[in-house]
Amino acid sequence: MTSSVAARDSLESRTQSGIAPVFDWFLVAAGAAVIGTLVRAMAFTPVELRQGPAQKIFYVHAPSAWVAFLAFGLVAVAGLLYLWLRDLRLDRFAESSAEVGVVFTTVVLITGPLWGRPVWGTWWTWDARLTLTLFLWFVYAGYLVLRGAIDNQEQRARYSAVLGALGALLIPFIHLSVYMFRTLHPQPIVMKPGAPSLPNEMLVTLLMAFASFTLLYVALLRARYRLSEARSALAHQEGGDA
Amino acid sequence: MPENAGYYHAAYALTATIYAAYAISIWWRGRRVRERLKGTSARD
Repeated sequence: MTSSVAARDSLESRTQSGIAPVFDWFLVAAGAAVIGTLVRAMAFTPVELRQGPAQKIFYVHAPSAWVAFLAFGLVAVAGLLYLWLRDLRLDRFAESSAEVGVVFTTVVLITGPLWGRPVWGTWWTWDARLTLTLFLWFVYAGYLVLRGAIDNQEQRARYSAVLGALGALLIPFIHLSVYMFRTLHPQPIVMKPGAPSLPNEMLVTLLMAFASFTLLYVALLRARYRLSEARSALAHQEGGDA
Repeated sequence: MPENAGYYHAAYALTATIYAAYAISIWWRGRRVRERLKGTSARD
């Protein structure tokens, strides 16, 4: 088993010169797209009358949540594919996507209360969507801690693939929680059956935010994956597990 | 209309800070790994 995994891990034979740089133009472009979206949201998108300017938090909160779901969904897919194919590139992809997903979920958990305080009158409430999102953060933070605690590369990849796949089962519950339970959290206004319930100017800003945050996810994922590759090459050179 | 712009300014500032800090952390960790790679290559 060990030899077959190693044989499929093309990186093992890489030298330092074969490792791509962590950052490139793609991250710069993604950063510029996000800044452009924030500028549009701040200066060129109308203020919602009932909620006031705090409603604009929505343009970073909802896209960050979408990206977190995408990131953890891909952790699950990559983990299941790893269990089938035993290709360590899939494990590195899952690790990278989980770390980026935890960062995006952190933003969701910070921006949510910043919107809740002025609109609901409270920073936090233990309703289904908020609580499940907090659990999601704990599951994938635990996933990263688990990876750091196991030295054996194959064992680490196998255990974390199972945890990564199981953790993603929370995602449909989080999305549907606003329909399944009595909750303070607003219902979806874009990712729902039927037309989005937003004025056009707000909808364009929101769609730009979804696109630019997704681009940022891809850029950070590429950078983080390259870091994993470099670590793997280093472990190979030092004669240990990555 | 409620006066609550401070919350959204704080949210945008924190969002930008978290993503920028994470990007810098990847760059920093990458640099350390590369230095170690260089060290092991030089020893070989």
